[in-house]
Amino acid sequence: MTIATTTELICFLVLSAVVVIGALGVVLLSNIVYSAFLLGGVFTAVAGLYLLLNASFVAMAQILVYVGAINVLILFAIMLVNKREDLKAIANLTTRRAVSAGVCAGLLALLVRVVVTTPWSLPGPPAVGEEATARIGEHLFTDYLLPFEVASVLLLMAMIGAIVLARRDVLATDVVTGEVADQGLIEKARTPLLMNRAE
Amino acid sequence: MTVGASSAATVAAAQRFQAAMPDMGASLLATQAMAAPGELLNLSLNASAVLPEAAVLLAMIATLLVDLAGEKVATRWVPPICYIGLGSSLVLLALQWNAPLEPSFLGAFLADNLAVAFRAVIALSTLLSLLISWRYAEKSGTPVGEYAAILLAATLGAMLLCGATDLVSVFISLETLSVASYLLSGYMKRDARSSEAALKYLLVGSAAAAVFLYGSSLLYGLSGSTSLDTIGLALQSSTTPLAALALVFVLATVAFKIAAVPFHQWTPDVYEGSPTPVVAFLSVGSKAAGFALALRILVGCFGAFDDQWKLLFTVLAVLSMTLGNVVALAQTSMKRMLAYSSIGQAGFVMIGMVCGTEDGFAAMVLYMAAYLFMNLGAFACIILFSIRTGSDRISDYAGLYQKDPLITLGLSLCLLSLGGIPPMLGFFGKIYLFFAGWANHQYLLVVVGLVTSVISIYYYISVIKMMVVKEPQEASDVVKAYPDVNWSLMGMQPLRVALIGCVAITAVGGILSNPLFQWANTAVAGTPLLQQAIALSSLKGLG
Repeated sequence: MTIATTTELICFLVLSAVVVIGALGVVLLSNIVYSAFLLGGVFTAVAGLYLLLNASFVAMAQILVYVGAINVLILFAIMLVNKREDLKAIANLTTRRAVSAGVCAGLLALLVRVVVTTPWSLPGPPAVGEEATARIGEHLFTDYLLPFEVASVLLLMAMIGAIVLARRDVLATDVVTGEVADQGLIEKARTPLLMNRAE
Repeated sequence: MTVGASSAATVAAAQRFQAAMPDMGASLLATQAMAAPGELLNLSLNASAVLPEAAVLLAMIATLLVDLAGEKVATRWVPPICYIGLGSSLVLLALQWNAPLEPSFLGAFLADNLAVAFRAVIALSTLLSLLISWRYAEKSGTPVGEYAAILLAATLGAMLLCGATDLVSVFISLETLSVASYLLSGYMKRDARSSEAALKYLLVGSAAAAVFLYGSSLLYGLSGSTSLDTIGLALQSSTTPLAALALVFVLATVAFKIAAVPFHQWTPDVYEGSPTPVVAFLSVGSKAAGFALALRILVGCFGAFDDQWKLLFTVLAVLSMTLGNVVALAQTSMKRMLAYSSIGQAGFVMIGMVCGTEDGFAAMVLYMAAYLFMNLGAFACIILFSIRTGSDRISDYAGLYQKDPLITLGLSLCLLSLGGIPPMLGFFGKIYLFFAGWANHQYLLVVVGLVTSVISIYYYISVIKMMVVKEPQEASDVVKAYPDVNWSLMGMQPLRVALIGCVAITAVGGILSNPLFQWANTAVAGTPLLQQAIALSSLKGLG
């Protein structure tokens, strides 16, 4: 075993351990701030795995998008909603946890079995390495042109929708008749629902 | 090393596939593996296939620009812009009918007759939903321009989904449709029910999207390509457990989109909390897109797993028909009742898919078209009722025929058609589905379908009984205080047009349904994907 493969193996083991333990921490810890920071750790370790696979572009995109944008956004959201609220105790919590643990363990066993029984052919194709960026660009403007363009529509629409939902209309009126409207469903609720109107 | 495993499978699958099928799809593979960019740029994009979507996109952008001029201008000009956009989209779709087939965007999109038919259903459902939504949006004081723009974006995603032949295109268009649907269901933002609906839809929908992505990553690992054709060929030569797992994941997403039991839990809450015109779109447009996706992926890709997915779909169909129609009996809210009935209706359509015969597919297309008119007609009626009274409880409809004969007549005809009473359009759609199922020996499905149809007729008729049979003194308080019928307000005329149009087609379409039958049959005949599946299944039947 050469020193290069040993290093690679050690890096792989360390990164995988970080991913697995971090992911378990994200799900199991009850403090949401710890979970958010651990999620950042998991994303970074996954970027490390991409680097090991010689996919530097994907690794950088992972860091920029997931760690730099999404995770920071999650942390912001947690900090903005800094409200301590004691939630109602859920009945049969232990049973529920046991059931979901059982389901997850079953899924894990299924996936492991499938991975073991599938006849993989090793080694895989050679990595493109530094050429990857150029290759991705080529694909984006040839055979993936349509999804690339549709993604821009998706982003535009998501942005507009977010603004519409988040902006504060001080006074809403029916444009045609000029009556005051409440921006709620026309069908008014007369039976108690899960949530009462917060007014 | 395990980390390279999935990419290793890629090569193996590609080699196996090339050995098995040297000529078919090889050009596509070559396209994707080609290194020199210059050669790729010389290939024809054939972008005219997405011209109908371009019309919708232009209408969306125009709507947003007009909206900059203020709410009053938007109320005036957004409707005609949407009509022009969707109308020209429908005309362009008609021009694509039976056109020579050529994959566009280097294999990302295919405008075969199946895609054209389903895209037409979706564009028409958006057009009708918009016609019935103007007054609703104005009365609730929500911005009309953005509403139309988001609905058009949802339409764009749904239409592209019908013709997408590449996993990446499928996923992006699916997300465009889904994200727009989440936004639309939470559009009445001051209403806790609407926010609750949006949140539930978002959480469940994101989980479904993640499952779909996982399934498609497995498919890519097996075949080394994102093109559905290539994946289908690769799956034929390698029926590994991994492929079966991918099938389960993909099928779960499809079932979520068409709201089949047991992936239906989101439906009643989302339908109850969303603005009613949005529910109209979700129950027709979004469902049609889901069925188109199901046909593309399950029939096109998983041909080798024919028995497995048909068995799963049989279970889903039986559960959907039973649960949807039985639970609908107990509903007190009109929207919730239609939500459960739409679950049941999706179960009926699934019969056609399980058959996998020429008649089965044609019956599916025909029933989707029939469902478009009868369901949107029913929604037009309940929207009109809630605009006038502010209620959607079934008991509030008591004695309505005294005050508003138009709603009573329209709703009665549409509900009878949904129940499958002759001579309405829905009867012919349903009889064709059951006929196709019986001919294909799907006795269980047909019997369950017949029994649940009878159950559904019971709850549809009980609404009609509520409206028609009650004496004037038994009428509900809401109906007693019914306002004068007034069509002069802006946005009421389109609602009237949509209502009368849908009801007329539902009522008369049954007798004059021959063109619809021919249309559905041509849609199946002009789709190579379905023809291959039909040929394969008939071969299986002989052998």
